[in-house]
Amino acid sequence: MTIDIQGISKRFGTYAALQDINLRVGAGELVALLGPSGSGKTTLLRIIAGLETADSGTVLFEGEETLNRHPRDRRVGFVFQHYALFRHMTVFNNVAFGLQVRPRGQRPPKAEIAERVHRLLKLVQLDWLADRYPNQLSGGQRQRVALARALAIEPRVLLLDEPFGALDAKVRKELRRWLRHLHEEMGITSVFVTHDQEEALELADRVVVMSQGRIEQVGTPGTVYRTPSTGFVYEFLGDVNRVECRVESGQVLLEAGGTPLGGAADHAGPAILYVRPHDIELLPPDERLGAATVRLVHEVGPVTRAEVEYAGTLFEVVLPEGGRVPAQGELVRLSIRRGMLFPRERDPGEPPRPFLPFRSGGPTPAVNLGPHTAGMG
Amino acid sequence: MAVEASLDTAQDAGRLPARPAPRPPARPATGERPAIRLALTGIALAFLVVFLFLPLVAVFAQALAGGWQTYLEALQEPDAQAAIRLTLLTAAIAVPLNCVFGICAAWCIARFEFTGKSLLTTLIDLPFSVSPVISGMVYVLLFGLHGLLGPWLREHDIQIVFALPGIVLATIFVTFPFVARELIPLMQEQGSEEEEAALVMGASGWQTFLWVTLPKIRWGLLYGVLLCNARAMGEFGAVAVVSGHIRGETTTMPLHVEILYNEYNMVAAFAVASLLALLALVTLTAKALLEWRYADELAATRRH
Repeated sequence: MTIDIQGISKRFGTYAALQDINLRVGAGELVALLGPSGSGKTTLLRIIAGLETADSGTVLFEGEETLNRHPRDRRVGFVFQHYALFRHMTVFNNVAFGLQVRPRGQRPPKAEIAERVHRLLKLVQLDWLADRYPNQLSGGQRQRVALARALAIEPRVLLLDEPFGALDAKVRKELRRWLRHLHEEMGITSVFVTHDQEEALELADRVVVMSQGRIEQVGTPGTVYRTPSTGFVYEFLGDVNRVECRVESGQVLLEAGGTPLGGAADHAGPAILYVRPHDIELLPPDERLGAATVRLVHEVGPVTRAEVEYAGTLFEVVLPEGGRVPAQGELVRLSIRRGMLFPRERDPGEPPRPFLPFRSGGPTPAVNLGPHTAGMG
Repeated sequence: MAVEASLDTAQDAGRLPARPAPRPPARPATGERPAIRLALTGIALAFLVVFLFLPLVAVFAQALAGGWQTYLEALQEPDAQAAIRLTLLTAAIAVPLNCVFGICAAWCIARFEFTGKSLLTTLIDLPFSVSPVISGMVYVLLFGLHGLLGPWLREHDIQIVFALPGIVLATIFVTFPFVARELIPLMQEQGSEEEEAALVMGASGWQTFLWVTLPKIRWGLLYGVLLCNARAMGEFGAVAVVSGHIRGETTTMPLHVEILYNEYNMVAAFAVASLLALLALVTLTAKALLEWRYADELAATRRH
C-alpha cells in the first residue's frame, strides 16, 4: 500500500498547521515524521487516518482517493500516544473490538475471533495477560496491546503517534528494536510520529523532518543526518555548533572578532556555520594560530565532551574514544574538519556551501591570520 | 553519609511515626493544637446533630407517635397512595428523560467547540439558580388556560397544567442539571481518544456510544441519576405551582405532606414525610455503597 500525500494544507483559526505538504510513502516502508511540537506532524498523521480533515489537498491510498472515505472504512491501524485502550475492557476484548464491531455479514465467527486475538497477543508477547485490564499493565505492555489492537483489523496502513513517548528510556529502546523486527516481518506500510531524533534515525527507512507545518527534508536516516539541507535539520538532528560568521575572499571568519576558521568557495557575506561536535579535533597548540582554551570537560557515559573557547566563541567538542582527555584550562588548537555554511540574508531555499577546513598542520599560506587574539579573554 | 542518613529518617518518618527520635515528635506543620482540633470537631458535630440529624429523627418520631398502626393507616389512605403513585410515576418519566437530555448536553459541550457553548453551559445551570416557583410559573404562563399555547391546547383537548404532563415538565426542568452537571466535567476530563480509536477500528457511532462512551461514564451517570431521582421525588415549589392541588389526582408526596400539615393532621403528614425521607436515605446509601464497592474503578476513571 502506497500513501500519496498531495498538497495538504490545514489551518486552525489563523494558525497554519500544515502548508502544502507533499509526500509519498512507498509500499511496506516505515517512515518517521520528525519534528518539534507544533510542527504539524501529528496533524498530518490524523489527516491520513481521517481523524482530522484537511483544508485542501488529497491523500491517495494505492492511487485511490481516500479523504472522502469515512475513517471507519479506511482500514487504518492507529496507535495513539496514550494508547487510548478501553479501560473497562480486558486486553482480549480490547484487541477483539475491531472484529466484533463488524457488521454481521463480515464478522468472523466467535472462535475465529478468539483465535486471531490470541495469535496477535502472542505476536506482541502478551498472551498471558489476556484477562487483565489496561490499568493492571505496565506502560510497555499497554503499548503492545495498543499495537495488537491496531493490527487486529488487518490494516492496510499502520499509523503510530509518538509510540514510545510515554515510556521510560530502557523500555523505549527495547520496544523500538522489537517494532523494527515486527515491521520487517509484517511489511505493513507504516508512518510514525516522533520528536525524538534518535528514535527516528534508528527505526525509520526514511525520515521526514518537519518544522512549522512544512517539510524541511526527506531522506534516509544517513542522508538527513550527514547532509542536512537546512539549518533547522542540522540543529534538530543531533548536537551541532551554530557559529555566526562571514565569508570574505574565500575565508570563513568568525562574526565576532574576525578570527579565521577555514575556507569557503562560491560565497561571500554573512553565513552560519554548522559543525558537529565530533567534527572538531583538539590538537596541540600551534603558535601561528590562536590558542583555544578548554573550559569544561564532562563525561556522559562512553562519550567525553568538552567546551572549548576559541576567539570568544564556545565550541562543543566530542572527544574521540580512547584519546587523551585534556585538562580544564589547557591550551589547545581547534581544528574544524567538516562543516556546512548556510548563507544568511538569502533565500532560505538556497543550498548550503561546504566548509573547507585548513590543511592539516596549519592554515594555508595564503591565509592572513590577522589579530587572531581579538576577543580572547 | 550525613546527608544520606537524614534523608533516610525523613523518608521513614512518614511510615514509622513510633520510631524513637532524639527529640519529641513534632506535629505535622499543618496540624492544629489539640484544643483547637477538639473545638472545630465539636462545632461541626453539633451543627450536624442540630441541623441534620435531629430533624430526621423528629420526622420519624412524629410519624410513629401514634404507633405503627396509625402510621400504616396514614400511608394506606387512598389519597396518600395516589400521591405515592404519582410521585413514583413522575420520577419514572422525568429521570430517564433527563438522563437522555443530560447525556446529549454533556456530549455536545464536552466534545464540540461551537459558538454559544458557554451560554449553553450557563443555561444548564439556570434551573439551579432560578427559584422553583418561577420554574412552575413559566409552565403556567406557557400552557395555562390564558397562557401562550393555552387556546391551542384547549382546542385539541390537551391538558398540561394541573395534570400529570405539567408536573412532569416542571420536574424535568428542575432536575435537568443533575445528570448534565455530573457528566460534563467527567467527559471533558476523559477526552475522546478512546472514541477515536473505536472509530478507526470501524465501529459505528452507535456502537462507539454503547460500548465505549457509556461504560466510560457509567459511574458519573449513576451519580447523576441518583441525585436527579432524589430531587424529582422531593421537588415541591415548581410542582406546587403547576399541580393545582387536586387531592388524590395531582398531589405528589411533598404536596400531600403540606396539605395534611395544613389540616393539622400531624401524624399522617409526618408518616408520608418519613417515607420521603426514607427514599432519600436509600438513595444516599446506594451512593455510598457504590462508592465503596467500586472505589478502585472510580479512582481509575475519575477524580472525585
